Amino acid sequence: MNATVEKDNGTRQTAVLQQSGGDQCFKFSRPCPELTADAAAAHNAVAIKLGNSTIAMTMSDGTPTDTGVTAGKPLKVSVAQVLIYELRVRDAMTRPPVTAGPGDSLRTLQHLMKSHRISGVPILQDGAPVGLVSIEDIINALDQGHINEPAARWMTRNIVTLRDHFSLVRAVAEFDRHGFGRFPVLNSASELVGVITRGDITSCLVQHLEKRAEEVAAREAAQTTGQANDSELAEPVVLRAEVKAGDYDSAGKVSQRMRQILRMRGVDPDIQRRAAIVAYEAETNIIIHSIGGDLSVAVTPGKVVIEATDRGPGIENIELAMQEGWSTAGPLARELGFGAGMGLPNIRKCSDQFEIKSEMGAGTRLYSEVLLHKAVPPPQEKRP
Amino acid sequence: MKTVKLMKLSSVMAVLKAEPLTNEAESDLTGCYISDLLSDVLAHANPGMLWVTIQTHRNVISCALTKDIGTVLFTCGRKPDPAVVAEADAEGIVLLTTKQTTYEAAGKLWEAGLR
Repeated sequence: MNATVEKDNGTRQTAVLQQSGGDQCFKFSRPCPELTADAAAAHNAVAIKLGNSTIAMTMSDGTPTDTGVTAGKPLKVSVAQVLIYELRVRDAMTRPPVTAGPGDSLRTLQHLMKSHRISGVPILQDGAPVGLVSIEDIINALDQGHINEPAARWMTRNIVTLRDHFSLVRAVAEFDRHGFGRFPVLNSASELVGVITRGDITSCLVQHLEKRAEEVAAREAAQTTGQANDSELAEPVVLRAEVKAGDYDSAGKVSQRMRQILRMRGVDPDIQRRAAIVAYEAETNIIIHSIGGDLSVAVTPGKVVIEATDRGPGIENIELAMQEGWSTAGPLARELGFGAGMGLPNIRKCSDQFEIKSEMGAGTRLYSEVLLHKAVPPPQEKRP
Repeated sequence: MKTVKLMKLSSVMAVLKAEPLTNEAESDLTGCYISDLLSDVLAHANPGMLWVTIQTHRNVISCALTKDIGTVLFTCGRKPDPAVVAEADAEGIVLLTTKQTTYEAAGKLWEAGLR
């Protein structure tokens, strides 16, 4: 595996980040040339196993480091670094959490920790976490002779919790900030759903990297039997991604991946850009305005077909929505720079073929075609 | 015919006392677009321009990539998250920050000849 990574050339550099950022949700029509990301994953898996907890530590400031990356290699952000942004606390935490009541003795808790091989127990009262007893508290209790007293008397009360939707990189930052060994994890309804430790984060990363390493091994085997050639490059490729409402952090992943394919096929840069704008605006529309949907991009030798469908609520007045400057975006979207009321007009301007259908309560379907060869004059640049 | 006056990245940085947040490779800027609205940038900015904004969210990188904008300047001393900087670095996008306001920065760039 290592050898594959070392042989990497610079031209594959961008493929690494984009592929690794997206392959959790993208489906490709065939496993095509993006071997590199997985090879890098394999490489990192090794590195991670060697230098366990330091990985999570180095991630905390978000700076690209040498973690798992051989010096001089063109990779700037390793797969591990991308994973730590992609994976959520809920992916790594231990669940269901082992809990106890405030009346339970520290002795009971000591046994709980021993039998479950854990280092801390959240204390629940009426279903809500009110404190936490850690293995350090137990050691102190044994030392000072209050091991038979109730947890309520010795537990840490002002506990800091994490939410299950937090990214792992945020969790690592919280570990560094507070110096705690573990955090109780709450869901969006503020119910305790798990406990996360630094060890959980590292094993979760190792597990995901190993999975990718296995995938690359399988692909390498497949590659030796059937070499990709130029004519295969011209085959249709379909990218599909689920787009979640409010997931502003993921906006643009599909369009970036599509750009990469178009670049590989030598498509005119201006046409690349127009297709990318359509895909990007269509994706952000789903994120901002819908309850969730799907984006599909089909690249054929002649054209790019971009289809965006969502499950609702639907556009009340399409004519109004097509007007520049009209927007129903909420305050968060606007704060992030969306909601200029130009999304649909931009899509129409950049498309060679454009269609939108919407039904209140059922959702919206947007269809756009961008031709790859026809010389279309670029959209008139109007300066305000 | 519009003549495009190019400006070196290094002179832009000098004029604005801008600090690089990513690796900076010398490049020629073909112009400048100022906006904090992403769709507006998608519609009006041109490839190779300097984009001046106070937005620091990850979407700025996606938007710049979509438009082939290689340099983004954050004004008013704003800096994006390290995660965003790492992504920009990986994509080869140069991020700069300056303490000056957007208005001051625009004035100085215009004066310096970036038209």
